[in-house]
This record gives sequence, C-alpha cells and structure tokens, in this order.
Amino acid sequence: MQNVNYTVDNFVHAYKQAPWRLQLQWIGAFLLGMFGFALVAALYLDITSQAGIAGRNIQDMTAELTVIQHTNADLQNKVAETTSTNAMEQRALALGYQPVEPNQMEYIIVAGYAAPKPAIFAAVPMLKPAAPSQPPEYTQSLIEWLDQRLRTASTTSMMGVAQ
Amino acid sequence: MRQEYAWRSLVLAGILGFVGVSIILQIIRIQNSTEAATFRKQTASYINVTETYYPDRGEIYDRNGHLLAGNKTVYEVSVDLNNANDKHAIALTVSVQLGLNLDDLYNEMVNPPLIEGTNMPVQTVVLADNVSSDQAAALEQYKSAADSQASATGTKSSLAGLGFWAHPQRSYPEGALASNLLGFVNLARRGYFGVEEKYNGLLAGNMVQVSVPTDPSKAVDIPHVPNGTTLVLTINRDLQAATEQILDESLTKYGAQHGTIVVMDPHTGEIFALASSPRMDLNQNLSYGQIYHNASEYDRAISMPYEPGSVIKILTMAAALDSGTVTPSSTYLDTGEIIVGGWPIHNWDNQAWGLQDMTGCLQHSLNICLATLAGKMGAQTYYGYMNRFGLGHLTGIDLAGEAAGRLKIPGDGDWYPVDLATNAFGQGVSVTPIQLMMAASSIANDGRMVTPHVLYAMLRDGRQYNVSTQYAGSPITANTAHTLNQMLAVSLENESSNALVPGYRIAGKTGTAQIPTQFGYDSTVTNASFIGWGPVDNPKFMIYVWLEKPSTSIWGSETAAPTFAQVAQKTVLMLNIPPDDIRNQIAKP
Repeated sequence: MQNVNYTVDNFVHAYKQAPWRLQLQWIGAFLLGMFGFALVAALYLDITSQAGIAGRNIQDMTAELTVIQHTNADLQNKVAETTSTNAMEQRALALGYQPVEPNQMEYIIVAGYAAPKPAIFAAVPMLKPAAPSQPPEYTQSLIEWLDQRLRTASTTSMMGVAQ
Repeated sequence: MRQEYAWRSLVLAGILGFVGVSIILQIIRIQNSTEAATFRKQTASYINVTETYYPDRGEIYDRNGHLLAGNKTVYEVSVDLNNANDKHAIALTVSVQLGLNLDDLYNEMVNPPLIEGTNMPVQTVVLADNVSSDQAAALEQYKSAADSQASATGTKSSLAGLGFWAHPQRSYPEGALASNLLGFVNLARRGYFGVEEKYNGLLAGNMVQVSVPTDPSKAVDIPHVPNGTTLVLTINRDLQAATEQILDESLTKYGAQHGTIVVMDPHTGEIFALASSPRMDLNQNLSYGQIYHNASEYDRAISMPYEPGSVIKILTMAAALDSGTVTPSSTYLDTGEIIVGGWPIHNWDNQAWGLQDMTGCLQHSLNICLATLAGKMGAQTYYGYMNRFGLGHLTGIDLAGEAAGRLKIPGDGDWYPVDLATNAFGQGVSVTPIQLMMAASSIANDGRMVTPHVLYAMLRDGRQYNVSTQYAGSPITANTAHTLNQMLAVSLENESSNALVPGYRIAGKTGTAQIPTQFGYDSTVTNASFIGWGPVDNPKFMIYVWLEKPSTSIWGSETAAPTFAQVAQKTVLMLNIPPDDIRNQIAKP
C-alpha cells in the first residue's frame, strides 16, 4: 500500500516538475492572446467594412438624388418650353383657333361668380428635407467607444454614490 | 559537440537579432526623418477634399405660374490625359459631334495648360462646357460603342479617358419674352440686369463648402443645401407677349427706332407687362454685346431718362389745382407767345388758341398755358410738387439699373428762370417712363402714389411670402386727383383721341417732345409718348407708351396714342375687365 502511494506521489511530483508543462502554459497563453487579438481585429475589420459600405451607399444615393433633381428640372423645363406662349400660339393656330377681337367678346353677368384670384403657389408648408444624423457607431473608433463606456460607467457610479 | 552547436546557434541568433534590431531602428529613423514629415504633410492634404455644394438657382414664374426662368442640365466634356489612349480619335469625335475645331481640341490635349503656380501640366483637360443633354448623350453612345469594341478585341478603347460632368445651367423656356425685365445669368452664375441681378442673392442661395474624407469608411453628413428662393412675378405672361407684339408692330408701322410699353396696376404698383426694344434671347446671352451698346439700353423703361414733353403737363396741372392756383373752370387767354427769362415760349403749333379753360389747356396741350401756371405757382411751389411726385429720384422699383433722371431746381448752376416755364411742358427735365407712371398713379389712385414693383411673392422652404403694396406718399389730395381724372377723360373725349377704347372711359395725355442735341432742339425728330389709365371711375390699368423718333408722323397723338389703345384693348381682354356698362350692372345690387 505504501508502495502504491509512493508511486502516485512520484507521478504527481514528476508532472508538476515536467519541463514541457511550463512550455505548454506559455504556448496556451500565447495562443489565447493571439485568439483575442484576432477576435478584436476581425470585429474591427467588420465594423470598418460596414462603415465603408454605408459610406459608399451614401455617396451613391447622393449622386442619385442629384441626378433625379436634375432630371426633374429638365422635365419641368421641357414642359415650360412645350407650353410657352409661342408654342401654344402656333398650336392654337394650327388647330384653327383665332385671336379674339374685342367686338367678339360677350360678357354675361353670372350671379355669385367670383373672379379668379392670383395663384397661390405654396399654401401648405412642405416638410423640410434634412440629412439623417449619423449614429456614433459610424464615426467612433474602438478606443473612443471604450473611453465613452468607461466615462459613462464612472459617471453612473458617482451618481450612485451621491444618491 | 553540443557546445559547438550551441555556439553556432548563438552566432546565428545574434546575427538575426542584429538584423531585426537594425530593421526596427531603420523603421524608427525613417518614421522620424524630415522626408517622412514632408510625406506626412503631403498625405494630410489628400485625407480630406473640400467639396462645394451649389444650390440650384431659384426659379422665376409669372403671376399665373408659368415658368419664365428655370434650370436645365448641361455637361462639361473633359478628358483624363492619364487614361487617354488615342487623343486624335477623341479630338475627332468631339469635333464632329460638337462642331469644334479639330486642331484646337488636339492641341489642347497634346499641350495641356500648367497647374497654376507649378510647372506640372493638368491631368484633366476640359474640351467643352455647357454641352446640351442630346449632344452629350450622342458622345456617350460613341464612347460606349468604342469601349465595347475594345473589350471584344482585348485592346484599350480609343475613347478611353473621355468623361462627362453634369451641372445645372440657367434656362429661359420663353426665349426672348420679358428679357428686358428678367435679365440673365452668366456662366459664373451671376445675375445681370432686371430681376436676375436685383434678386441675385435670393435666387442664387448660399453655397456650402464641406471637408469630406477621401476614406469611404469615414462617412460624413452630406449638408442639406437649400435651393435658391423661387420668385413669382406680377407679370402676366400672355399680356407680356401681346404687349411685345404690339410694340414690335408699332415700331415697324410708325418707323420708330426704339420703344417701350409698360402696363401697371395703378392701385398696387404691380407691373403686368414691361416691353422694351431691343430684346435678346436670354438663352444666348453672349449676344448681349452685339445687341446693346451700353447698359442703359437694356431696359429703357427704367434706365433711360428722356425729355417726355407734354405728358408731364398732367403733373403741372395737378400741382396748379392742388395748390389752389387754378380751378378747372379758370380761364386763360392764349395769345400765342409769352417771354420768360428773356426767352419766347410758343405752343406746339405756334398758334394762339384764345380763351381756354383748364380742360382746354390740357385738351389742346398748350405750352404757354402750362408755363403760365408754373409761373403763377412760383418755383418753390412748383418744384416742391415735382419733388413730391418723385421726379429726379429713383422710384425704388425692384429691377436692377434704375436711373433717376434729372430735375434742375433753383440754386443748381445750370438752372435758369426759363426752366420753370419749359419744365412745365416737359422740356429741360428728364424722366424715365416708370417715374412718370409712379407720379401719375397718384391721379388714378385717390392722391396716393404707389411704388412700382415686379415681385408678387417669394417661395422658400415651402412657404409663400407675398409682397404688399408700398405707397410713396400723397403729393396731391384725393379731391384734386378726382378732378384731374375727369378733366383728362373729358379732354380725350373732346379731342376724339386715337387713344380711346370703345366701351371704356379712359383718362390720359399725349406727349411729343423734340430731342435735345448739342446745338439745341432738333425739330425733325421727336419722342412720342402717351400715358393713360382706365376705367376712369375705378382704374385697373395704367399704360405708358414711348416711341423713339417715329418717322411716319412725329406726333404722339398719331403714333403713341393708337398704340396705347391697342395695348389697352388687349389688357381689358386678358385681365377680364368688362366694359363700363357691364361693370355698372354688376355693381348694382
């Protein structure tokens, strides 16, 4: 029985003193560090790429908005050219209309008729278009985010003490 | 043996360690060198680019919502010299499509200009600007075809490097319509003349400059750049077109060199139409220099003072009535000549008209009668009234380039006693048509003078801001205004004037003024004018006609007066003003 105990003690002692065990610990710690670093790097890369894609999308949409605005202006211009006084006069003459002479006018009194008033162009205020504000996630670095969290945490704890 | 290996390993490790440390030291040295600082500085300049966002220029509409000035897309055609594969092919394509000189285009690419302040050539050369959408689309089609062909054969496209940049340009869909009033915008986005210059600040809006990081991961807020303010004018587009047509016809019919017609609401000062000659197609504003010799010719109604002649007699009579110098029934014996300050004054026909009342003085446009009235009033009273009527002052109309004219007064070095007499019938005093309209508005508007204006409303951020009527004083009483209104209407009716409009009672006055030269007045050429308004009981329009040097007849009564009648007939049709008898029926309960 005593021999058996001696053998186990020796094994434990040998294990504790095995040189490869220390190396294993170092390797494990190194790998853990590497894993942590890779994790942070991957997260950073992911966030950066997302921000990059969002930035590109914003640029694309801005360009698209400009094109749409230009197209609208072009169409409005085309409508105005099509309905210009010259164009309308030519079209009216082509359709057989003639300019009215004063002696051809006949005025009829219509009870309750109100003469048209000058045009009202913008009776209802439109909503102001505004660029959406960016959440801080799009502009904040990881260090800034960490700093902000730490500051928030310390402020909260101080408030807790004050209460 | 093991010790020998250990020694070798140590030497190898030492060498590798030395190399490693050397590399690190070198990195640190390079990082902190002066060259590195220079490179860092250069890099910093590329981290951000300053982008300028220009707001679209505000549009201009007439009072009924017809677009008079808008924006359209045009293109800048440029070539990136780093990517340009076949400069000759690019020059040839652009030359054929845009009608530009082939050699000029090719030389521009072969000998590009230098970047300002350096000896380095620019990388991008602008071949043409303000290219229309259609032309740019045709060029783009050529480029796409060349690119497709090149990718099929595995070569570089012959039109590689050719690029297009869209940007807005001012556009005037009505061409030359209301050009004297609207003005135009040059390529540097600045407004010249008329509304475009007067309201340039509002129309252009405010540009915004933003520093944008070139790194797409650093997205920044794109600033909201509000467009320029949209303006709505008091102009009625159709009446404007009709007025311009009548002016052009009158210039031809009466052989006049130039002319101006203005239609205004005498109650509010709103300008319904302003036609002047010559006009220019606002889309071709580079032709300005060929059409006009100086800026005052652009809009004669506001910028070119002239001696108006007898139309000013309505102001002299207004002053005489209002000051109590005469009443409508006061009589005057016209002997055909008076001497003032040593100078003889005659009537327009050098005849004596005998006994006349004040309506007769206006009806026959008697110079001597009006000169005598001015003399009776005295210089202080007469010029006091003329000053209150706004002669010699700007009216404040919201158009660029207004001129004040000249009213000499006692005390001025070039004023003589005879000026009091001649000023009374429109000689020796220079005014613009718009000044006389403002002054006459007091007669048509119960003694109150209105400031003429062309802005009806402003539209900004979806809100409409209407412009209210501005009064410029009350030079005469309402009673004087009513009395003179009737006198002017009666004088036209008694004369069977060419200015009369069937169905409508009109008040007005002709003017025929000799043109001053270096050697005195030239009796062979005149300025023919007419100012009138109606309906007399409730004036809805006031019209001023000025024809310069008519050749078929020198008289305003035979040239300007019938032109007035034509414009008045169009005005009542287009503004829906029924004849007097119909209006009276409507007014009855």
